[in-house]
Amino acid sequence: MAISSVYVICDNMEALAELCAGAKSVADKVTAVIFGDEAAAKSVCGADAVRYCPVGEGASPEDWTGAIADEIKKEASAAVFVNNSIRGRCIAGKLAARLDTAVMTNAADLCEEDGKLVCSRTVYGGTAHRKQAFSGAYGVFTFGGGAFEPAADAAAASDVAVMPGAPASSYKRVALHEKKEVGVNLAVAKRIVDVGRGLAKEEDLEMCRQLASVLGAEVGCSRPVAENNKWLPKTSYMGITGVQVKPDLILVLGVSGQVQHIGGINKSKVIVAVNKDKAAPIFKNADFGLVGDIYKVVPALIEKLS
Amino acid sequence: MKIVVCCKIVPDEELIQVRPDRTLSMEGTPWKISQYDLNALEAAKQLSAATSGSVTALSVGGTAALEPSKIRKDVLSRGADELSLVINDEHAFGDSLETAKSLAAALKDGGFDLVLCGTGSSDLYAQEVGVQLGELLGLPTVNNVTAITPKDGAVEVERTLEDSVEVLEMPLPAVLSVSSEINTPSVPAMRDIMRAGKKPVNVLEVSLDEAKPAVETISELAPEQQERRQEIVEGDGEEAIDALVRFLKKEAL
Repeated sequence: MAISSVYVICDNMEALAELCAGAKSVADKVTAVIFGDEAAAKSVCGADAVRYCPVGEGASPEDWTGAIADEIKKEASAAVFVNNSIRGRCIAGKLAARLDTAVMTNAADLCEEDGKLVCSRTVYGGTAHRKQAFSGAYGVFTFGGGAFEPAADAAAASDVAVMPGAPASSYKRVALHEKKEVGVNLAVAKRIVDVGRGLAKEEDLEMCRQLASVLGAEVGCSRPVAENNKWLPKTSYMGITGVQVKPDLILVLGVSGQVQHIGGINKSKVIVAVNKDKAAPIFKNADFGLVGDIYKVVPALIEKLS
Repeated sequence: MKIVVCCKIVPDEELIQVRPDRTLSMEGTPWKISQYDLNALEAAKQLSAATSGSVTALSVGGTAALEPSKIRKDVLSRGADELSLVINDEHAFGDSLETAKSLAAALKDGGFDLVLCGTGSSDLYAQEVGVQLGELLGLPTVNNVTAITPKDGAVEVERTLEDSVEVLEMPLPAVLSVSSEINTPSVPAMRDIMRAGKKPVNVLEVSLDEAKPAVETISELAPEQQERRQEIVEGDGEEAIDALVRFLKKEAL
């Protein structure tokens, strides 16, 4: 294989198995970097080596980026895979700056061509896919959940050690709160009710929630419903800049179907749309469409499907 | 507080034409301020008002993006006191390092307390330029900031992660990427638009020799149109709703 070394860096232990499997499919040597203690490091499967970065009270995983970059620079060339969380992207950007490279964020379709790692990124709000490769010795990718299949036969690494170097931070954490409102994980939902600007009032979300409960579905929305109206948490909006979903069924209510939203839902198995505007682009992307008023259709569906 | 806001001028993605061979045509596509930079501009405006400070908007890009006076005025009508531009047609600004290095070149002499960036650009959406810029400048930097409170020589920053909220004290100067949740950008009033034309625009002479692309693009194509059945019924009467129920029961439930 042409790629000699991949570093997998995760701030979320659940994402590790997948990224290690993806790394192993293209590289000879996979080094996992985790934020935690030796016991956590020993539980990592699917990597050839594990380096753990202890994070004390009031400290952040980001504090380790300088030490991690120094470690990676010991190799003549390497790729870095980071999970695509907010913290993951921060670590990715800081590392990339130190490795004199860019970040390919939320990369997909990773493969090897002519000895280079090639991947695809969605650009222009879903209008195009750009196939890219890094030109230099190092490259940093972030991958979202579902990018790779975890390996079934992954074993624990024998080479487990603490990350050399020391954490350093130029700012200080004053407090850390649990988030009050934690959104649903739409990325793994099997059925979704997708609410758009066709909904007139926040109270009307209730009927959408009722329909979702009848269908055993989660409720998601288009960007304006979360960002402008703030009726649902930001983690509930689907689109290129939001969550990308792949349910068996998505029932799209009062969403016009702009390209950026379609980019978030077009991996759904079946798309059903209700919209009173016959010309709404959502109908071109639907398996079944009803041109009508969601205020008539939703209550009727609740009744007929209960 | 002296604030610099980085703004990207991007092609309006809703108006990019897709040719039959799935390549893109930007001919006639208008330019706009990248959506999430509006949140950074608004945050700068509010902070500047709270601290009797100043706001300089900074943009790097090609002539087509940065020459039109309409775009310049649009930026300046949103709270910036002046606009600094690095105009360069030899660079495509196609990856996060190239763009971050170009901004860093324009900011290398300092003279600011805070640099604000949006979450990510509407076109490439790497969500990395702010963090890379901060690191290149050797300044404290974080992403996804949802509130900024000025303190003596520092800012207290709320950063919202997937399951928690951090409160960080960041010494100045610092570079922050703000989340779109931080505010709702205000629509410029007629008075702001009138004033925008009188504000200074500085075209900077900055060498971008260091800002080499780190990524090569192999191809760029519109996604293949996924075949959908497009069975459409019109009307929300009993019959149409029954057809929808039948479809749901047969195909998806």
